Amino acid sequence: MGLITPLFLLGLIGLGLPWWLHRLETQATERERFSTTRFLEATRKRVHVRRKLKFLLLMALRMALLAILALAFARPILFDEPAAAVTADTTHHVIVIDTSLSMRADGSFAAAQAQANDILAAMGSDDIASLYAASGTVRTLSGPTADRDALRALVAGLAPDKGHLDYGTMISALDGLIAQSQANFVLHLVSDFQQNATAVRFADMIPDVINGRPLTLDVRNVAMPARANVAVASVLVESRDTVVATLQAWNQSDEARDYTATLRVNGEEVQRQNVSHGGNGLFVARFPDIEFAEGDNRLDVSLSPGDALPDDDTRHAVFDNSPPAPVLLLTEDPASLGVTYVSAALETAPRGYEVEAMNLADFDPRVMQRYPWLVIEDIGSVSGTLEGALRDYVQGGGSVFAASGPRTQGLSALPLLGYALQGPQVGNDGRALHLGITRIDSSHPILRESAGWTNINARVLRPTLGPDDRVLIAQNADNPVLVERSLGAGRVLLLTTALDNSSSDLPVKPVFVSFMAEVARYLSNEQLLSKDQVVGGYLQLSQTGGASGQVVDPDGENLLSLQDTTRSQDVPLNKTGYYQVYTPGGEVLVAVNADPRESDPSPMSEQALQNWQSSVSGTAANANTTLVVDPLSREAEPDAIEIWRIFLILLVLLALAESLLGNRYLNVKTGSL
Amino acid sequence: MAVAAKASNNAFHLLDPKVLASLANLELVAKAVVEGFVIGLHRSPKFGFSQEFVEYRAYGEGDDPRYIDWNVFARTGKTYIKRFLGETNSHLMLMLDASASMGFGSGGVTKLQVGKMLAASLAYMASRQHDAVGVMVFADEILEYRPPASRSGSLQGVIHTLERTEARQGTAFDKPMTRFQEHIKRRGLVAVISDFYCDTEELLDNVRPLAMGGQDVILFHLLDPAELAPDIKESTLYEDMETGQAVEVSPLFMKKDYRERIQAHIAAIQYAARGMNADHVLINTGEPLERALHSYLTFREKRG
Repeated sequence: MGLITPLFLLGLIGLGLPWWLHRLETQATERERFSTTRFLEATRKRVHVRRKLKFLLLMALRMALLAILALAFARPILFDEPAAAVTADTTHHVIVIDTSLSMRADGSFAAAQAQANDILAAMGSDDIASLYAASGTVRTLSGPTADRDALRALVAGLAPDKGHLDYGTMISALDGLIAQSQANFVLHLVSDFQQNATAVRFADMIPDVINGRPLTLDVRNVAMPARANVAVASVLVESRDTVVATLQAWNQSDEARDYTATLRVNGEEVQRQNVSHGGNGLFVARFPDIEFAEGDNRLDVSLSPGDALPDDDTRHAVFDNSPPAPVLLLTEDPASLGVTYVSAALETAPRGYEVEAMNLADFDPRVMQRYPWLVIEDIGSVSGTLEGALRDYVQGGGSVFAASGPRTQGLSALPLLGYALQGPQVGNDGRALHLGITRIDSSHPILRESAGWTNINARVLRPTLGPDDRVLIAQNADNPVLVERSLGAGRVLLLTTALDNSSSDLPVKPVFVSFMAEVARYLSNEQLLSKDQVVGGYLQLSQTGGASGQVVDPDGENLLSLQDTTRSQDVPLNKTGYYQVYTPGGEVLVAVNADPRESDPSPMSEQALQNWQSSVSGTAANANTTLVVDPLSREAEPDAIEIWRIFLILLVLLALAESLLGNRYLNVKTGSL
Repeated sequence: MAVAAKASNNAFHLLDPKVLASLANLELVAKAVVEGFVIGLHRSPKFGFSQEFVEYRAYGEGDDPRYIDWNVFARTGKTYIKRFLGETNSHLMLMLDASASMGFGSGGVTKLQVGKMLAASLAYMASRQHDAVGVMVFADEILEYRPPASRSGSLQGVIHTLERTEARQGTAFDKPMTRFQEHIKRRGLVAVISDFYCDTEELLDNVRPLAMGGQDVILFHLLDPAELAPDIKESTLYEDMETGQAVEVSPLFMKKDYRERIQAHIAAIQYAARGMNADHVLINTGEPLERALHSYLTFREKRG
């Protein structure tokens, strides 16, 4: 047994506490009649120390309880059988097998397993080996061991997944895993060595641990030469009724070849298209006149005939066919330019919105409750009656996007928000300045795509902001352009310029369309989760509008425990297909496909492989250092079994016994008043 | 000789308050005490209880008519009663404190029980000497009162009064002493049996007039062994039997400070007794009553 946190053993000093406490004499609770108290004097100190200990058994229990507590915190561990011993002749074979998607191509993985077995068979009698599977992450299958049979069993049980392997990430992970190695080691990399797997920086593929350490990089290429592959690269919906599938071919002959693309919508085959294509590159299959169900639709495009890597022959996509959401726009003039710009931007948004412009003069505030959010073209035109109704609407959970039109410019205080208002910043000639945007809060959901804002010029009003206001876009410290304030359960986004192009060029810039789409998504509390993901990514449930939820994977299994559903989670995506995400904000369908980089069979060049090997070996050779091996050392820490859990159980039992015994001593009576 | 010694031992054994407390009849107790005590005196000529005639004296109120010499009356027409050896022609007034504090007892016998036994024994002894005996039981007021009398049956009356006495209320000497002075004009002996948990000044103020009025006063100061030398192992919350006030004390205090204080109080009572020419007898209620009776006889002899 070892104590890996001896500092906590200082807690054993606490054993003195019960010993001392049990010597204390506390105020007597039982009364005794005495003839007179005229000669008595109350004891000054009600607690004093006795020489004789009281309640020895209770004290022993309490001391044991404290001792167990201290030991539990000290995290004592038991060591299992020692790992493989290391001598000066020991070579540590680090066997890494590529289990990425591309290894699922016919024959590749079987070849990799055979190569791994060959490596094990060639090991010397003093050698040890460790086994790792590399894909999106590096998994340790076995630590250093001399047990070849166990390693062979692990190799035989291994299967490729659908992740993407990056050699830079792999080497970085291996660095940490093999840094403690005491032996000379050989890194055996069994892979198909795709070009797409190389790191962006070549230096990332050189292990850090080789500095001063002998290392040999042994590459075992199991790629089939010039393997042809065709994959569905993307699936899009155009004009809400046409599905466009982009297909890509590699290592194909120039001779034209017929392909059949099949479209399934929500699991049912709806169309087949024959496409003829020769050579490599992209080609397209169109599926016109498709009728979609309302809401999320599952689109699966499959390609035939199949090839050596069937996993990328089908692609999944989600198309949201929800009807355009109504958006209320309050204006003094439904035919104004501002209404036109806003309507155009929202109606072309991917989600699709239908703008309902209403004249403020005829507006009945009661209809606001039908809309999750609304747009006010000029907040200065809001009357006092409407202002009260708007405040109730926002505090009740509604949201408002308000712009500052000509009516606002003449006000000293802003309706609804109550800001004191100043006019636009003026130049030396007394004319209002049109300034550029310099600050953007890109952490805000509506500004994640912040490109295009810097070339916007605007003349803005200058409200005096409060501490709770969040400036999302600003020209400078005094000139906010977009401000957010929460009011009750709702929120208000204030644009300090107009929605027409009279005081800014924002409405006529391309960023306005995406901006309005994000504003609409944000204020209507729509899901922000991306519906198109690749294996190896993560579902960030925090973006679903609620911290809790449940995720059902393509095989129909719940991924989150009951406890996990109550907190924000990042759920790893390991399977292709559709993940169903249930959150308080609604139900979301997420299509997950294999990483398209795995579809490209193009291998690393021989030159690149040689460079990699020589770089690794050369670095080690240049280090010119002799490895000093501690003859008594072990290649790895023996397996440690933490026994603090046992102590916790003992702790509970002791606490129970202490309570019972304490009650007995204290003569605690229950069940009566 | 050996038989006499054995009888003597048995007699003294009988004086043990614990043994006496087991006797149901207070008269029996008194008789056992006095007879046992007398045996222990070895017939001392000084303290003899013989019936030897000494002289005549005029009959007075309260005298037992049985002792009137009718022959003399026939000859002279005047009532004379006979006096015998050891008779002092006096009366004994027993004043028994029955305050709540007298109900304290650590060894199975309370101070009040011992006080009652002592009072009964004194009454019995006085009766044998033809002294008139009266009793006053008091606490913070007078609870029982029987004026001194030597008539037949007065002893039983005193003993019955004592028997029905129970501890109650607080201690105050002013009322009983005032009453005493109002009703008892004749010179005599006054035995005050109490634990004297009072201010010595108050005691002096109330008892001194008795002494000044010609009464011979003896103070039987009863204290329990647990009051004289308490020995506690742990801190204890003591509740005053008279006031109900509670005080928590430590063993160390009771072993040192308390003992000093109670001894100082005893000394103060003794000093006060001396100051009013009274006798003070400290009685440990855990010990036999012999010392108390001895003291009484000495006192009687001295004052008689």
